[in-house]
Amino acid sequence: MSIQVWDIAHGRSGDKGDICNIGLIARTEADYEILCREVTPTRVREHFGDLIKGDIDRYELPNIKALNFVCKGALDGGGTLSLRSDHLGKVMYTWLLRMEIDIDGK
Amino acid sequence: MKSIKIGTGLAFWGDSIRPAVDMVERADIDYLCCDHLAELTMSILNKQKSRNPDLGYTTDIIPFLRGVVEKCYEHGIKIISNSGGSNPQACTAQVVKLCNELGLKGIKIATVTGDDILDRIDNLLADDVAFTNIDTGQKLEEIRERVTHANVYIGCDGIVEALQGGADIVICGRVTDAALYLGPMRYEFGWAEDDWSRLGAGLGVAHCVECGGQATGGLYSGGWNDMDRLPSLGYPVTTIFENGEAIMSKTPGSGGAVTVGTVSEQLVYEVLDPSNYLSADAVADVSQIKLEEIAPDQIRIYNIMGKPAPDTLKVNMGYRAGFVGEANFTYTWPDAFAKAQAGLSFLKERLRQVNFQSSDTRIEYIGHNSMWGPEVIPPPDAENLDEIVVRFAARCPTKEEASKVFTESVPLYNNGPAGASGIGTRPPIKELYGIWPCLIPRDLILTRVTVEEI
Repeated sequence: MSIQVWDIAHGRSGDKGDICNIGLIARTEADYEILCREVTPTRVREHFGDLIKGDIDRYELPNIKALNFVCKGALDGGGTLSLRSDHLGKVMYTWLLRMEIDIDGK
Repeated sequence: MKSIKIGTGLAFWGDSIRPAVDMVERADIDYLCCDHLAELTMSILNKQKSRNPDLGYTTDIIPFLRGVVEKCYEHGIKIISNSGGSNPQACTAQVVKLCNELGLKGIKIATVTGDDILDRIDNLLADDVAFTNIDTGQKLEEIRERVTHANVYIGCDGIVEALQGGADIVICGRVTDAALYLGPMRYEFGWAEDDWSRLGAGLGVAHCVECGGQATGGLYSGGWNDMDRLPSLGYPVTTIFENGEAIMSKTPGSGGAVTVGTVSEQLVYEVLDPSNYLSADAVADVSQIKLEEIAPDQIRIYNIMGKPAPDTLKVNMGYRAGFVGEANFTYTWPDAFAKAQAGLSFLKERLRQVNFQSSDTRIEYIGHNSMWGPEVIPPPDAENLDEIVVRFAARCPTKEEASKVFTESVPLYNNGPAGASGIGTRPPIKELYGIWPCLIPRDLILTRVTVEEI
């Protein structure tokens, strides 16, 4: 069965130069396991397409059930140079919340 | 165990002063810490200073102090701020003037400097400090002529010294946001400057609270409609213990909430590798952090590890990078999207006719994809669209080029495809500054502290 990340997590995003980091926080332990399994850097790259131009690294913060995605080249040159309306990446996380994921682990 | 209570007063230049006023009235704090500086702020402040040697600090410090300083002085609450920006001495001069006006006899105001290396760049280059861009590997020569500011993110040493000197108000330039909090911790608890485990823990706590309302329910996405009275949001009030653990709360009776969720969202904000959160005073490992609700609106923050501070300090250098020209215009049903396309073609052709120069352009549709752009959201359903707002933006080498964008969009009102509106008035042309992140050996930076008594 397919759900959206938003069904099991909330999040926040921000900027550091041309890097946008996106934090996702699972609502329960079981949700955290699904996040860890399904929301891989490869899936995140597919979901954002050309909007993220550089590498995507994922870090885990298990005690608060959070994943942190560090997305390089995501802000059109960085907050101070960007032509994007969302030049600080404030709502990048909401696009990730819409990603469809499989909860059966298949 | 000894503890101190630190309040977050301001989280950015222009932030509301009301949370701090309420906090000073009701929260029984020992310190009020205020961060005014973002990456771009130093470029803006340096530009102001170059036009007027009495400017270059964040002017919001004066109305802020007007609102809180008498009460703070009366109750022994010390105020730590980086409002000095690129001109801490000028900032202090205004603060002194205000304290004199308010008759605050005996109040001590400290100024921390040493972060500004703009005038030292050539000497440092000669001494083999390369200032290579740590994100891109580019050499400084590429932008050397366009550099507008160069400030080192310095740690809390100067703040500790200022507090040892009896300061009631500490005005700094580009200290790290965390140093505003670590200074009082090191001073009060007597932590050694290489007590990495406690400094790391304190750094992690500082990160949780330094963005003010973002940790107490502001922007909370986990249940945004459950947040109580956001217009009266309380800012973090944090009890820090001498072992580096903390209990975060907020001003009693204020709006918002402090929950594991709200603190978690702030914790992941602007963090790269959570096991290596770098700062001038230490490296924090927050990857194993634990947050525990011990009472309503009280979160215990613990299990943060510390590691030695890096040998180098980060330099925030800015450089002039051109200008942005922008035009917005709206089309309505019928054929709203097709007309928007025709309007864009009209604008591009007119720009071509005036030999428009730009290095990059961007088209977004407000109300449809303006936050992400065409990279992820395809064009809308053209048939039944009620309206669409087009945003066209271009990076240009000069102000003159940038201003052409709006000028050439104005004829859309009379001469373009049917049904254009919402063009508005000429927007100001925004100058762009690039940020050039680089490093400098720590031992080349000396912090200086002066204390003035009224």
